[in-house]
Amino acid sequence: MSYVTVSFPQLLLSLGLMAMAIAVSSQNHLGLEKDLIVGTIRAAVQLFAVGLLLTVVFRNEHPASVFGLIAVMVVVAGWTAARRIAHGPGSWVLFEYATLAVLVAGVLVLVPVFAFVIRPARWYEARLLIPISGMILSNAMNGVALVFERVFASIHDDSVAVEQLLSLGATPKQAVERHVRAAMNAALRPTINGLLTVGLVALPGMMTGQIVSGTAPDQAVRYQLVIMYQLVAVAAVAGALASRFARRLSFTEREQLRTFADRRVR
Amino acid sequence: MPALLEARRLRKAYEGRVLLDGVDVQLEGGRVTTLGGPSGGGKTTLLRILGQLCEPDEGQVQLDGVDVLTLPPRSLRRRIALVAQAPAMFPGTVLDNVRTGPALAGDEMPEATALELITRAGLEPQFLTQEARALSGGEKLRVAVARALALKPEVWLLDEPTAALDPARVETLLRLLRELATAGAAMLVVTHDARALQELAGRRLQLVAGRLTEETA
Repeated sequence: MSYVTVSFPQLLLSLGLMAMAIAVSSQNHLGLEKDLIVGTIRAAVQLFAVGLLLTVVFRNEHPASVFGLIAVMVVVAGWTAARRIAHGPGSWVLFEYATLAVLVAGVLVLVPVFAFVIRPARWYEARLLIPISGMILSNAMNGVALVFERVFASIHDDSVAVEQLLSLGATPKQAVERHVRAAMNAALRPTINGLLTVGLVALPGMMTGQIVSGTAPDQAVRYQLVIMYQLVAVAAVAGALASRFARRLSFTEREQLRTFADRRVR
Repeated sequence: MPALLEARRLRKAYEGRVLLDGVDVQLEGGRVTTLGGPSGGGKTTLLRILGQLCEPDEGQVQLDGVDVLTLPPRSLRRRIALVAQAPAMFPGTVLDNVRTGPALAGDEMPEATALELITRAGLEPQFLTQEARALSGGEKLRVAVARALALKPEVWLLDEPTAALDPARVETLLRLLRELATAGAAMLVVTHDARALQELAGRRLQLVAGRLTEETA
């Protein structure tokens, strides 16, 4: 089997697809033309930049460059998860906790799979470590962001009940148990839905990519299953850590509910 | 009789406004104290500080002569009932709500006890199985009182408890409060209700411009 190669003229031809979407927007007065044009250019610039970076890292494969890149992913994931959380203690406070949750969950989920399942030829093999880490860390990031958003918002909305539980002798854990459980559920739901519908609605991107580039479908399926189980585990671990951090940040040392300034999400 | 709950030189400012400016208050066991003053003047803040839901910027609170900061917050709060003006109901029935306090400590309250508590708080027995969140404001307040009764607190802090009640219910609640005080509880009731002030017949405090004064009339 051979790789499917896409030449530059062929790539330019695919711009016709975006033209199709822009034409639909224009015909129906959706007003999305500007966003579609910006999106088309941004996606190309971002992906070419990443492609260039990956080419450099793959050519000069070294543990420092591979793990340096993964470290950047962790930090960006932490920062992204900590941003725009209304009713929380602010992005700078949340950043370290979000990064820690992403890092711990990522390590717990990635290390055993690389060590015992994927077993790369070199322990720092960039071709495997970087894309798989990216997928897993991004799911951890989404889990943390969802938990932070939900926990802080629901405690804020329900602060009277939370304080009344404290008045009746509840621990902080007991006082926000309901809110934390709902947030964890929300964080895991998209990944679990992905598990339930995979193959029925759409073939996952990574599996499709592997099949297109020549991997036998049964092997692509096994790879995909490992990835999907990793995605569930990382969302669960990152969400659990984030909910603990959110709970800790919501109370003072004297177990009083903190009030945070309302941070409008732009 | 020694003061049960005592606050000294409490100061609290919120968003640049001084709500409490050196407030001293003693709540003695067996005695009702009422608190009035303009709305937004810091009465609820004082109740929250005494009820251990927030800290003063300055000052000290003592329970039975012991600085509250040296006591574990959970067991401390179980000794001080704080009944909010518009209490929030927890999900579930009135029975679930009344059982909350003991359940948090791992104890299960018999249904008969819960029934007795809601009756004391002025609710009819059929309320026990009703969804707590669907109740009226006055009914919720009585559930909150029953919920607090379940912990047998030594100190009661109530914020406008008669505001959402009709006259007959006010009578029942005031009788309960007097009984609790007679049995030794210390009590601070924020109220502007003339009938409550008259029937509770306790010390009358006013919180004005961050200062506490005692009415002599």
